[in-house]
Amino acid sequence: MFGLPLAFAAPAVLAGLVALPVIWWLLRMTPPRPREEVFAPLKILARVLKPEETPHQSPWWLTLLRLIMAALLIFALAGPVWNPQQPVAAQGKSVAILLDNGWASAPGWEDRVAAARALIDTAGDSNARIFLSLTAEKPNTPAGPFDAAAALDRLAAATPRPVPGDRAAHAAALATALAGETGISLALLTDGMALPGDEQAFATLSALQPVFVALARPDNGQLMAISTTANGASSLDVTLIRPEGLAASSIARLAALDSRGRRIAEADAVFAPGADSTTAAFAVPFELRNDFAAVFVEGQRQAGSTHVMDDNQRRRRVGLLAASDADSAQPLLSPLFYIRRALGEFADIIEPQKQELADAIAELIEQKPAIIVMADIGVIPDEAREALTAWVEGGGLLVRFAGPRMAAAPEGDDLLPVRLRTGERALGGTLSWTEPQPVTSLPDTGGFAGLPAPRDVTVERQVLAEPDPDIVERTWAALGDGTPLVTGAARGRGTLVLFHVTPEATWSSLPISGSFVEMLRRIVQVSRNQGVLAARTAGQAAQPVPPYRMIGADGALTAPPPDARPLDVAAGEPAVTLDNPPGLYGSAEGVVAHNLLKADARLTPMATPQFGVPVSALAYGTDTSLKLKGPLLAAALVLLGLDSLIMLWMSGALTRRRAMASATGLFALALVAGAMPDARAQSAGDDAKPGDAEALRAISQTRIAYVVTGNAGIDSVSRAGLAGLTRFLIEKTALEPAEPAGIDVSSDELSFYPLIYWPVDPATDMPDAATLARVDAYMKNGGTVLFDTRDALSAGFGGASPANQRLRDMLSAMNVPPLEPVPPDHVLTKSFFILTAFPGRYDSSPLWVAASLEASNDGSRPVRTGDGVSPILITGNDMAGAWAIGGDGQYILPTVPNNPLQRTYALRAGVNIMMYMLTGNYKADQVHIPALLERLGQ
Amino acid sequence: MAAVGTITAPAGRTDALSRARQRAALVPDLLVEAQRIVASVITGWHGRRKRGAGENFWQFRPYSEGEAMARIDWRRSARDEHTYVRDNEWEAAHTVWLWADPSASMLYKSVHATVSKESRALVLTLALAELLSRSGERIAWPGLSDPVAARNGAERLAARLTHATELPAQPPLDMIRRFSDCVIVSDFLDPVEETMARLAPLAERGVRAHLIEVADRAEETFPYAGRTEFRDPETGQRLTAGRAETFAADYSALYMARREELARWARRLGWSFTVNHTDELASHALVQVHMALSEPAGFRGAH
Repeated sequence: MFGLPLAFAAPAVLAGLVALPVIWWLLRMTPPRPREEVFAPLKILARVLKPEETPHQSPWWLTLLRLIMAALLIFALAGPVWNPQQPVAAQGKSVAILLDNGWASAPGWEDRVAAARALIDTAGDSNARIFLSLTAEKPNTPAGPFDAAAALDRLAAATPRPVPGDRAAHAAALATALAGETGISLALLTDGMALPGDEQAFATLSALQPVFVALARPDNGQLMAISTTANGASSLDVTLIRPEGLAASSIARLAALDSRGRRIAEADAVFAPGADSTTAAFAVPFELRNDFAAVFVEGQRQAGSTHVMDDNQRRRRVGLLAASDADSAQPLLSPLFYIRRALGEFADIIEPQKQELADAIAELIEQKPAIIVMADIGVIPDEAREALTAWVEGGGLLVRFAGPRMAAAPEGDDLLPVRLRTGERALGGTLSWTEPQPVTSLPDTGGFAGLPAPRDVTVERQVLAEPDPDIVERTWAALGDGTPLVTGAARGRGTLVLFHVTPEATWSSLPISGSFVEMLRRIVQVSRNQGVLAARTAGQAAQPVPPYRMIGADGALTAPPPDARPLDVAAGEPAVTLDNPPGLYGSAEGVVAHNLLKADARLTPMATPQFGVPVSALAYGTDTSLKLKGPLLAAALVLLGLDSLIMLWMSGALTRRRAMASATGLFALALVAGAMPDARAQSAGDDAKPGDAEALRAISQTRIAYVVTGNAGIDSVSRAGLAGLTRFLIEKTALEPAEPAGIDVSSDELSFYPLIYWPVDPATDMPDAATLARVDAYMKNGGTVLFDTRDALSAGFGGASPANQRLRDMLSAMNVPPLEPVPPDHVLTKSFFILTAFPGRYDSSPLWVAASLEASNDGSRPVRTGDGVSPILITGNDMAGAWAIGGDGQYILPTVPNNPLQRTYALRAGVNIMMYMLTGNYKADQVHIPALLERLGQ
Repeated sequence: MAAVGTITAPAGRTDALSRARQRAALVPDLLVEAQRIVASVITGWHGRRKRGAGENFWQFRPYSEGEAMARIDWRRSARDEHTYVRDNEWEAAHTVWLWADPSASMLYKSVHATVSKESRALVLTLALAELLSRSGERIAWPGLSDPVAARNGAERLAARLTHATELPAQPPLDMIRRFSDCVIVSDFLDPVEETMARLAPLAERGVRAHLIEVADRAEETFPYAGRTEFRDPETGQRLTAGRAETFAADYSALYMARREELARWARRLGWSFTVNHTDELASHALVQVHMALSEPAGFRGAH
């Protein structure tokens, strides 16, 4: 239009420009409305105000501003497009569209859809029959003919798929659907990447004799994909590929995610000019690399740029095996102790349960470890040898350590990297002139290449290898005199490694050096996990594994789509199809990685196909077109805001500061409200839970608790007794407990109470095991239970009373420490009052506490030392009965014998127990204060 | 944007009944407020109310510097070494006429003020009525009630006001006799010459008048800006100002000149002139007027 690359979506709206002069006239006529004010002294004002002075017309520049605003609005509504896309006019009566929606089409998918929509629109205008085929869908998807509406519906439903497309199959399907059609227009909306079967596909299409062919190829200069990853010694190397034949260099940033989608590492890669592959190295610690679940290229948003990793990149399982495990009381002498400690950081250790060596080996192999470490095993039983050999040749890594048994074993063990001489060599003993040898070299050809030689390690005893011709290349570590210390050799797909010393520190200081850890770490790194799912490999054939986390078309890890099917891992390397989209298969316990691109994949640009007619190039056109509606509307809005500000200024509002503040605030608010698409207030979190009120009540004040037995008489006495003790505590001490709490030990939270009084009632039901476990946990965590059998009067003659028997039954289910009657120097006797006995209503039963075995008292101290508070107190004196008070404050029950002093002592006993609960052994230390002060004074 | 000034009550003066009802609803509140203000005034000046303009001897008191020499009682002073002043008792039969402007312009109230000018004027009038009634003075409202001395003079006045259907826009001053006091509460927005012409007969008759100008702060400072249309509440006349803020200085000068002229004229006649703004407390003006009222008539010449 007008020689400019400008087009309008709705040119008719431009007719509105005719109305501009009218708008101009209206604007000129309408002055701003005055503010109306009542003003009493108008007569005075009239003397200074001249009525004809008021302006009635807007200034010309305000009118111009508004005219521009109106013109902008009209232009914006007309929908202008800069550089509009020139639609390719499809000719003929049938239009066939082959649209790539494989993984490489995900970037710029909207443009492809737009191009296809434009084609369908023009075809619909000419009433052509439309055929549409999407190459990544299943080949049996119907290809047409459709009318324009149906084709647009199918197009709207199409999405890019994270799998490679199949042009050959879809070209065939399209050819079948087009059979008998004439005057075919063919549009190939490709992703620009070559696919296997392209030649066949284009040959099929060429056979249709199209009258018009359009081909669209995007600019794939920024496309990158990950073909493979390799876990090296110090880094995870990721191989990146890009379409061949690109001259420019480009930079990619890669990131690694863990299994929960957190970004844990980043790496950069640079494509040299002309190169089509490069390598990025995640130089992060091995432990962190274990956590990688996926790596992806930033900013790519397509499936090929994400690469998932499975257990082969994870922590290795290491099986440990020793001929004899030493006494567990002397762990430092256990042959596996140092190995366990060294490997525990970066490998999962599994150990067999079975004692028999053959069974133990079989059990280990069943769990498919990456490494088996055998410490000083000389003779391997034959049936286990076969399994072990098969395991090693299948890729296992067997690490053996020497020892007396191996030295004594007969020759001919083939599960060793080198042949051994019988017997061991001692260096530096009383009968030897030689010195203990240091480790001097770790050859570059061995598995420890690059590690520093541990010169501080000395070897006093070792087994010797026969000097075979290949001994040098099999040596991984050598001593100062050249004899090998560690040897290794490949066996099948696996590796054998032999340490010529024992795994404990008897033959050498190697196991207690830091190099030992480094060596084992290196060995772990070169190993490969065997099998993928430890849980499901126990004696079963490989089952198809269900989809777990799929790579979406945009490269993100998502939940599996509904049409994803289990992956058949038994059948070699399965192909990437819509049934098996790329991603992780398995479950949270173990996964199999199923990646889009194979290790040797290359990205080749598509060759230009040859047809009988000239191929016209089709651009994914909206790349260059620019819709001007939004900017124009924004400009109009800005002008509107400017106009509002001018209006405010002209009406004088800006001269008052408050008004200005509010006006600008309103304006800013309007801007913000317009800019924010959806601001939603988040409701404040309310984490209240049921039972909070009870818990708060229980802990806001100290309370003494009693167990509700269900016997109303006992419960009322317990409550009255603790009320009496509470009153006595308030009167005599600084402690002011709240009302006693009656608790149900089977359901209530116990940890709120420092002391639980438990009157044992044989008449009620025995508490069940879960309840006793709760009480046990309470006692273990610092609480104390005061059991009161209340039978001191009746059980005086040796035999266990029913209550006593019930208490024994209950305690038998708990971890009760050894008990003793309160010794005279126990802190209970001095925690508040000085007491010698702990009477209740009766005074014949002693008070039992946990025996303080390690407590010591040489007789010079008033109180024995010792830590902790006894978790259990047992009495038979019916203490609550002595403490119990009625509503009038009088004691309810008489003491036996009826002695007022005994009741006082009972209350004092209660105070002492409570103080003991709350202060622990503080009083035991407190009695030494005079001595401490005296010492400080000196 | 809210307007600066508002008219508090509807200006429909013809609708007598509704006006009377609104007055009835308004006056008891004002009366209570008036009594509250009076209580504070009396508490502050306890014991003075018996001394003042009158003819009977009340007390001798020591002369303090600054008082008029004419007031010294030389006969008493000659008896010892001190100088005494002779105070006379407050004239019991003193008549005070009270009048508040009922015009529509008094209904004006700006956003700065707490009450309208009319409300303030009524409060001041009734407060003075209460004050004077308690002192035993005779109070009257020109055109509404005759002079009466009663303890509940303020209530009576309020009742009369409540039932008055139509109040004259200007007070009928011809019934005010000599030696009376007259309190006129208004906004005095009419041209000064008219006001002076209307009040001049009082001065000729020897009446002592106390003018209280109730003013709204917005009328003084003219806080208007921008394009504003002003409307006169009395005549309904309209004036439009393109940029009102440009007139503020000129207008204020005129407004203040009017007040100055009126105040000068009142002072020359020996009258008091008090300005009360509706955003201030009513008691300020009340105290000043009360002081002016309690000044003895013979004292006036000293100023």
